Amino acid sequence: MIEKIDLWFEERMGWRPIWKALALRNIPKVTWAYTLGSATLLVMVNQILTGILLTIYYVPSPQDAYNSVSFITNEITAGWLIRGLHHWGASAMVILAGLHMIRVVVHGAYKFPREVTWFTGLGLLAVTMAFGFTGYLLPWDQKAYWATTVGTRMLEVVPVIGPWLLRFARGGEELSAVTLTRFYGMHIWVLPALLMLLIGIHMFLVVRIGISAPPKASETEEEGPELEVEA
Amino acid sequence: MKPEERSEYLEEYAEDKKKGIPFFPDAVFKDVLVGLTVLIVLIGFAYFGGAPLEERADPSDADYTPRPEWYFLWLFQLLKYFPGNLEFVGVILLPALGFAILFAMPYLDRTRLRHFRSRTWVMGSMGVAVAAMGFLTVQSMIDIPLPANVTGEINAAALFTEHCSVCHGTAIEIHEGTNLHETIAGGHEGMPAFAATLSIDEIDALSGFLVSPQGGAIFTANCAECHDSGDLAAVSPFELQAALSQGTGYAAHADLDIPEWEEVVFGQDRTALLNFLLAPDGQRLYGLYCSECHGPAIDWDGDRDQLEVLIREGGNHREMTQWRDVLPDSEITLLALYVVEPSSSPDGEPLFAQHCADCHGVRVPTAVDIETAVEIIADGMSHRSMPLWGDVLTEEQLTALTTYTLDASRGTPTLIGQALFGRLCSTCHGDFGEGGPHPSDPTNIIAPISTAIYLETRDDATIRAIISKGPSEGMAPFLESEGGPLTSDEIDALVAFIRAWEDDPPVEFPPEIEQGPVAGGSRQVFSTFCAQCHGEDGAGGADLVGPSLTSDTFQNAYSDEELFASIDRGHSATSMIAWGDVLTAGQVEGLVEHIRSLVSRTIVYSRDIEPIFQASCSACHGSLGGWDSSSMQLVIESGDSGPAVIPGDPEGSNLVRSLRGTGMQTMPPAGELSDVQIDLIVEWITGGATEEVTIGGEQAGGSAYTWTVDVQPILAASCGACHGSSGGWDAATYDSTINSGNGGPAVSPGNADGSSLAQRLLGNGALMPPGSALSDDQIQIIIDWINNGAAR
Ligand code: HEM
Ligand code: HEM
Repeated sequence: MIEKIDLWFEERMGWRPIWKALALRNIPKVTWAYTLGSATLLVMVNQILTGILLTIYYVPSPQDAYNSVSFITNEITAGWLIRGLHHWGASAMVILAGLHMIRVVVHGAYKFPREVTWFTGLGLLAVTMAFGFTGYLLPWDQKAYWATTVGTRMLEVVPVIGPWLLRFARGGEELSAVTLTRFYGMHIWVLPALLMLLIGIHMFLVVRIGISAPPKASETEEEGPELEVEA
Repeated sequence: MKPEERSEYLEEYAEDKKKGIPFFPDAVFKDVLVGLTVLIVLIGFAYFGGAPLEERADPSDADYTPRPEWYFLWLFQLLKYFPGNLEFVGVILLPALGFAILFAMPYLDRTRLRHFRSRTWVMGSMGVAVAAMGFLTVQSMIDIPLPANVTGEINAAALFTEHCSVCHGTAIEIHEGTNLHETIAGGHEGMPAFAATLSIDEIDALSGFLVSPQGGAIFTANCAECHDSGDLAAVSPFELQAALSQGTGYAAHADLDIPEWEEVVFGQDRTALLNFLLAPDGQRLYGLYCSECHGPAIDWDGDRDQLEVLIREGGNHREMTQWRDVLPDSEITLLALYVVEPSSSPDGEPLFAQHCADCHGVRVPTAVDIETAVEIIADGMSHRSMPLWGDVLTEEQLTALTTYTLDASRGTPTLIGQALFGRLCSTCHGDFGEGGPHPSDPTNIIAPISTAIYLETRDDATIRAIISKGPSEGMAPFLESEGGPLTSDEIDALVAFIRAWEDDPPVEFPPEIEQGPVAGGSRQVFSTFCAQCHGEDGAGGADLVGPSLTSDTFQNAYSDEELFASIDRGHSATSMIAWGDVLTAGQVEGLVEHIRSLVSRTIVYSRDIEPIFQASCSACHGSLGGWDSSSMQLVIESGDSGPAVIPGDPEGSNLVRSLRGTGMQTMPPAGELSDVQIDLIVEWITGGATEEVTIGGEQAGGSAYTWTVDVQPILAASCGACHGSSGGWDAATYDSTINSGNGGPAVSPGNADGSSLAQRLLGNGALMPPGSALSDDQIQIIIDWINNGAAR
């Protein structure tokens, strides 16, 4: 039965080569630490799905934001779960991405030929933090308002363009409706687009180049003395 | 990495791969396992931790301690170690540097070695970085730093710790010329306005603390044992001066074991101490020391230096004419009398206004006794009137005071603000910010902006932002750069004007409403309560709070039911209170009628009524039989069961019954007409159902008082208890009110003088009601009613 379906699709889509390239490839023997990246990916998918569900009821205006979030939390079926997953997922994603990065550093996996993977990874980290920062304002409660107030104020200390940056981030001198829609736009459109782009490249490279093998402690001894000088 | 190393790596990697495992299912299995675990943990957090939501954002709540999300805490903490101009290093430079290093990793760590043991450098740096971030995060969670210069129990330091250090860390660098008081009170750049949280004395103590840390230290060392810095802040500088220079000679210090302060605290230290105790805040100094004599601002058109000299040297700054050369002795005596006791010398007043007011303004100078007064006035010259502020204030304080005085003399912001408000805002917000119906959309009620609750919950920054950028709806931005007409200074002036309402609320409810239910007919109720805001004739007015009740827009916008509801329940957002709380339903109904009667309206059948029938009835009610809506005559005369309309009697008209649904069948069947439309038809019928019907339009005033509406309520409340049908005068019905009475009819219509009712109310004969006369208004109503024929 499964073969039949497989064949049916194969004849129409020619998907076997893709499946082969993605799933049936060999990878080096890896440790559990290598699951951190996919765990991050999973939480990312979680953020996107719950995030999209949240946008259905969320209203980005100072009058309604708080009410809509409170409505989501208290009234909507499983609203608490969706918001809870998104809320805790944000922290989880930061932690997991951080741990994943530490794993990469420990394994020296940023070295040739995976430099671009590393760069896009850094981009992903920045985008994740930006998600966290912009998302934090959205519920428009006390912590949201004041955290963003002090958070955006930090921009002001940049020499020369600081005040301009501050105004750019807030959409004015003070936090206002403009700030909220601005952050919302970032959180819902701009950052997801960046995220897609970066994760696309990131994953493409992971498959294309292949995951690094855990370095062997014996590497120094194996090599000739002249190379050791350079180390 | 060299080219040969690279190819070597690739070869080795290919080897590893061959010996490796298939991605699917081996690696995927691990990923799924970990993924599921993560998901379960997340659901667990969501279930047990929920999705936290605090109170709604409140920009005016200065007490809230801001905290970024935990993964930014390390950065937030870093900020505290880099105060002042160095902030940039901590917040931007270090993180940016960190990120740059991360980016450069493949180029910094360029050997072919990958095992962590052969890369101690990298591992070490990463370890340090991670540990540092962890440390900062923990630190930020537990640590609210004390300011560096806390040396004792100064309450200002506690204030600083509580309110400022969360964001500012241990110290704030204050730029020259900053008006600290204003900054703290009004907030700036994301800093909340503390005016709502801290008292003026506290703000002052904080300013002093920040401006003069040295003074704080001196205070702690020498004074704090007995004094609280806040206590001394409002003490007159002369007292401080005396206390400091007289040592134990100062009365309050006499019994104490203290040093001669002159020897301990002098020069710089003394200045620092004074600045600490009373921050150099011009507005505050002016308010404390000058406004008593000079009012809110002095009239000054000289330059700054002259002003400063004047303030510094005080005293003899104005020469007074030797009045003995100008005025006769008698007038000088009159003036002296007036000055000592204004009420004793009414003739002095015009003299004072003529000769003295130019310099003295309305403030009458006082003198101890007549002789002194005569002497001063006659001699004129320079009489010492102002203290030498230079002796008691520090340089910083003098400068601040001069600056403020100069600014204030150029027109206080509130005055400018008032003018702007009148020009730009009052159309919608009312002259007193009381709001009311939107001029172009009367159903939209603009909430008042002058109430205590509104002003308390919005700081200056918020109001400024609302004016500058417009709220989310309804009002356009007013700031130039946002496309509006005002400069930022002008907006500041507006904010100052609006803020001034807080001390002096412009909208006040009539005190009567405190007293609970009131008696009186609708006309009387209207003139007692409604007229205060809507005018005696209900037409509103430029200096009145309420809108016109007689305008066509108003009259046409509301049905009687809606009017009733408005009066009964009020508009929660405006100064129109729920009158139902103090008036009976009958009184409110009376008010509705009264409001309707304020205007005379002409209902033109072809203009006002016909279109209603055309739109809603004519489709069915044509010439097919039954009621025919096609012409006025047919509308009146046709009908299944006799004429549908009985002119003058809406209640008896089948048309009205059908429209109201009180007859056989509600019409139109598809949906009732609106209340306004039904009212209109009813009024047309009431008025006689002709082509043109005029309704309402009785003028306010005596001529229209009636027994039912105006007189009966008064009598019922004040006379009914005794004057029933048991004999003598009977106030129960119209007829009995007029015709009964111990000595013949109590009322002779058209002649109040000859009516015993009126005379007894006035107290001619035994006063009625015994011992407590009716109010003058009430008596006047009854007299007018009688004089105009005692209408039923
Ligand atoms: C949104 C965040 C991220 C996601 C979803 C993600 C996902 C992944 C996945 C699934 C892999 C496959 C191998 C593994 O699981 O370890 C991977 C590899 C890699 N990632 Fe990420 N990553 C993210 C962030 C980062 C960051 C912050 C960095 C470093 C700055 C980074 C650098 C790398 C590198 C260099 C590899 C290749 C490792 C190797 O071949 O051993 N990634 N990433
Ligand atoms: C990397 C991915 C993301 C991160 C780290 C992230 C982070 C956050 C955070 C921290 C909040 C505040 C939640 C709270 O405190 O309750 C938030 C709220 C929100 N996010 Fe995201 N988000 C991500 C992706 C998305 C996406 C892709 C969408 C939608 C397309 C989305 C839509 C929302 C909405 C509507 C809210 C406001 C509702 C609420 O606060 O519960 N997010 N996000």
